[in-house]
Amino acid sequence: MKQHQDITRDRELLLGLAKGEDKSLEIIYSENFPVVLRMILQHNGSEDDAKDIFQEAIIVLYEKVQNNDFTLSSRLKTFLYSVCRHLWLKKVQRTYGLYSLSPELEEVIPATEELEAHQAKDQEFRIMEGAMSNIGQPCQAILEDYYLHKRSMQEIAEKFGYTNAENAKNQKYKCLMRLKKLFFDQYNTSL
Amino acid sequence: MKEEMSLLRDIERYLEGEMSEQEKTAFEELRRTNPLINKQVEEHQLFLLHLGNYGQRQQLQAKLNRIHQQLDMPALRQQAQESNQAAKRLSIRRRTITNLAAAACIALVTSLSTIAVIQNVTRNKSTAQYEDVRRVLNNIQRSQNALINDINSKSKAPLNPGTYGGTGFAVSGNGYIVTNYHVVAGADSVYVQNTKGEAFKAVSIFEDISSDLAVLKIADSTFKSQPLPYALKPQSVKIGEEVFTMGFPRDEIVYGKGYISAKTGFNGDTTAYQVSIPVNPGNSGAPLLDSRGDVVGIVTGKQTTSDGIAFAVKSAHLKHLLDEMPKDKQPRKDWNHKSHLEGMNRVDQIKKLEDFVYMVKVYN
Repeated sequence: MKQHQDITRDRELLLGLAKGEDKSLEIIYSENFPVVLRMILQHNGSEDDAKDIFQEAIIVLYEKVQNNDFTLSSRLKTFLYSVCRHLWLKKVQRTYGLYSLSPELEEVIPATEELEAHQAKDQEFRIMEGAMSNIGQPCQAILEDYYLHKRSMQEIAEKFGYTNAENAKNQKYKCLMRLKKLFFDQYNTSL
Repeated sequence: MKEEMSLLRDIERYLEGEMSEQEKTAFEELRRTNPLINKQVEEHQLFLLHLGNYGQRQQLQAKLNRIHQQLDMPALRQQAQESNQAAKRLSIRRRTITNLAAAACIALVTSLSTIAVIQNVTRNKSTAQYEDVRRVLNNIQRSQNALINDINSKSKAPLNPGTYGGTGFAVSGNGYIVTNYHVVAGADSVYVQNTKGEAFKAVSIFEDISSDLAVLKIADSTFKSQPLPYALKPQSVKIGEEVFTMGFPRDEIVYGKGYISAKTGFNGDTTAYQVSIPVNPGNSGAPLLDSRGDVVGIVTGKQTTSDGIAFAVKSAHLKHLLDEMPKDKQPRKDWNHKSHLEGMNRVDQIKKLEDFVYMVKVYN
């Protein structure tokens, strides 16, 4: 019964997360981080490792709820914990080869399928991130302002000191073309 | 360059819905007719999607970092360390206990199996080489003899062939019979049967466990006494002397011939001989006679590890035993006379002897 209630609450939290409510995110974060921190520390990780791993798990969760087809079958805590274990296992394997795998880590609750989709998305994100950091300023700022922060061209023109919106727009197209080129170069070779 | 840019601009305007109706239809027409442009449009859509995802994720990460900064890290750290230490202590303790238990189990198993092996070995050493030659009778061996006996005689011997069987021989004319102790040990009732098939009830009146001998007395009114044709030889015989025996390894009397091969028995037992003679289960208690027809020993057992090595208690020992028996139980001392069998050939000896050799049947 208690478990059932817990899962109901977890589902509500996830609903909030899907809508982008900061409150839900905060609750999920602060309730689950300590457990993960303990687990990572126990397996010779640092606090920064714990933070990275946990945030990646949250991102996985976020991607899932964004897709709408995600139904929580276990408690949220269990889900996050197993995803974190899995991520940490991968990271340890990546860094140390086959060395130093504690036996408890091997018995991971299967979280592989959750992570496969995430890895593809993560890859795309890294490519975009790389492309963005390569186009340099002010291109990056202009594009971010326009596409991500949804500012109008007028605002952007004022912020960056263009004489009018049309000039800013031209600049934006130039930047956009470079970004697209950088992105697709990487994107097509990596796929 | 210029063209690309204007195309990009068109695509953007098209996707963002900034085109007028006229422009839009023209552009859609263009998309339809020019696959290259169409591809560009799709590519741009994909790109915008990725860009959107990128933005979302960046935003999310920013939020996460902000939340993370609000956490009370020192407290969390301490908490985690404490619980980890507790868990470690517990796991160490558990591991130690498990290891200890495993070690104890191994030690226990090892010592037990060692004991078992050693016991087995010692037992093999002492007994496996020596085997009583009493016979275990089963129902299949219910014999013709028994049936004939049942029809012809009025003796009341049970039809059942008994549980164990051995051989015995008379040491006096009036019904005293010597056999092996192990044949009659634990018996409820004992019957002796001669070669004619007559069975008599007998009781064990004297037993000597150390030399494995027992004296039976026939307690049956139908028994008629007759003089013994042989004597008990008081001296021990020499090595190499030819001996023969008669016993009941089956329901028929069986003759066997051999020689004395050593003056001591199993494990240096001085009251016995080692005899090279074929013996089988059922030969226990059979008389061992020399060529003159004197009893020189009683077959008791054989060595299992090699064939043809049997053991027989010396007749001198038997005589000694008979002398020591309580006076009221003592058999008539008619074994001291000279043997009537001397000088006869073996066939005649056997013919005379077989009346005094009995099959001992034991019921328990």
